Amino acid sequence: MANPLRGEVVKLYKSLLFLGREYPKGANYFRDRLKTAFMKNRDETDPEKIKQLIARGEFVIKELEALYYLRKYRALKKRYYETNE
Amino acid sequence: MASRVLVRCVRSLARPSERLCRVNVTMRAAAAPLPLNQRSFSLLSCSQRTRQTDQTRVPGSLVQLCRQYGDLPPLTLESIKDRVMYVLKLYDKVNPEQLQTTSHFMKDLGLDSLDQVEIIMAMEDEFGFEIPDAEAEKLMSPDEIVQYIADKKDVYE
Repeated sequence: MANPLRGEVVKLYKSLLFLGREYPKGANYFRDRLKTAFMKNRDETDPEKIKQLIARGEFVIKELEALYYLRKYRALKKRYYETNE
Repeated sequence: MASRVLVRCVRSLARPSERLCRVNVTMRAAAAPLPLNQRSFSLLSCSQRTRQTDQTRVPGSLVQLCRQYGDLPPLTLESIKDRVMYVLKLYDKVNPEQLQTTSHFMKDLGLDSLDQVEIIMAMEDEFGFEIPDAEAEKLMSPDEIVQYIADKKDVYE
């Protein structure tokens, strides 16, 4: 409970949950997947391993951001050049 | 600080005037089905009318002062509690029948710490301000959430 990395994990969960609201498949789908992913590693105690997992979570955040940027870019492109496609 | 004092003064002044308005409305509603009665009353009270309008003008200006424009109506402990309980009832992992204001999220409702983070996020959405992580993890029951929000929003009994 008193793990020093606990705060970081909670923060990661919160930001992922926030990003997941815009997920194409729906916020509920994303939330369930996120929850199972976090619960899978709930018994992890090795600090090194936890840090690795947090880094993976941050990678997922970057991926999600990239996904949203791409979606935005495609939507804009479609609006400007709709006749070409 | 000065503005807060001013607002409090205006509110305390406005409260009796609000009551006055409400009384007026009820009186009018009661008088509506009896127009004849009202007319005779107004004829009788013609001389008193000037005094009456003077009386009604004062609360009117106070009502003008405490207009809220686009702002929401002021929060009270009761309304905060209602909104918190409403959000919790809508949360799919909480059983509405077990829910009480004093119930502990983990011990009584069987939620885990991740669910608690979700609840806090829902509260942030509902009340429109951010709750820091360090304080969020201490909020373990609806009562504590209500107390915290009341502290942050300067709501007192």
